Amino acid sequence: MNVKTSLRAVEKKTYMSYHQDGLVDIFVGVYVLLFSLGIFLRTVEDFSTWFVIPAIFPAVMVPIWVSVKKRITMPRIGYVKIGARSATKLMAVFIGLTVAGLGTFMVFSFASSQGWVLTVRNLIISNGMIIIGITAIAISSLFAYTMGLNRLYAYGLLALALFLAGQFIALQFEYILLTIGLAVIINGFILLIGFIRKYPLQQGDQTNVEKSL
Amino acid sequence: MSKNPSNLKNIDRLIHEPTRLMIMTQLYVVESADFLFLQNQLQLTPGNLSAHLSKLEEADYVEIVKEFIERKPHTALKLTKKGRHAFQEYQQNLKQVFSDFPKKSRKDTRTP
Repeated sequence: MNVKTSLRAVEKKTYMSYHQDGLVDIFVGVYVLLFSLGIFLRTVEDFSTWFVIPAIFPAVMVPIWVSVKKRITMPRIGYVKIGARSATKLMAVFIGLTVAGLGTFMVFSFASSQGWVLTVRNLIISNGMIIIGITAIAISSLFAYTMGLNRLYAYGLLALALFLAGQFIALQFEYILLTIGLAVIINGFILLIGFIRKYPLQQGDQTNVEKSL
Repeated sequence: MSKNPSNLKNIDRLIHEPTRLMIMTQLYVVESADFLFLQNQLQLTPGNLSAHLSKLEEADYVEIVKEFIERKPHTALKLTKKGRHAFQEYQQNLKQVFSDFPKKSRKDTRTP
């Protein structure tokens, strides 16, 4: 193992240790559940603005996320400011995904009714569940690789399996989202309980030594 | 650099000690970390960590910043410019020492 590889391993371990509390899973699970709730509302109550809830979720949840991290994670494992390189990598993934999402939206919204664009659009519509499943595993794998969180691969596989099942045995989209959201939230809570047990709040000894520095 | 065992003399002994090397490596890959985080990551006792941090601070390799976060005292630790430079130099020197070694030892090359 060369020096760069081992430094990267330390960097990765540091990053992973900050996400072992399961909070990221709980928040992602809630986000997926909100999508499914929005679709349920559209089906039952003709709720045309079903996408509003998931759209405003990040703005509402970021302050809550920060507060929960401060109350649960930091007092147990301490505080670390990750270097700019990791943050830049993650930001690049976000920007890439946003551009890809906007590109797809443009294809669907403004594509002319002729030519290859229409063929692609029809292909996507007729194999919707398979495309969504592949997209889900691609996105989760991208985040898993960038963040070093292997459990995101498992979530991606679960999503792929459920969407493939949806394509072939006609499972409804909102039920698939509900199942994925619940599975991710449950795993998040299991991780959170394990984290709280593994890292009880520290008092006394460490604090006194720290003060003497 | 010449192929000379005296290259080992260039190795910074302050960093070379295993616990301090772990501390320096950990701080090298982050912007800053607090006492508790280092303690958890490196599995050290508070006393042990504190003693090594004091040595690194004395050498001006580590900066200990006392601050208040939400009215609570907080101790942030980070590598100084000198510390970061010393760590990079340590890497280079160690690499050089090993690259100066012959590829195979005499025992390996002996024919049966």
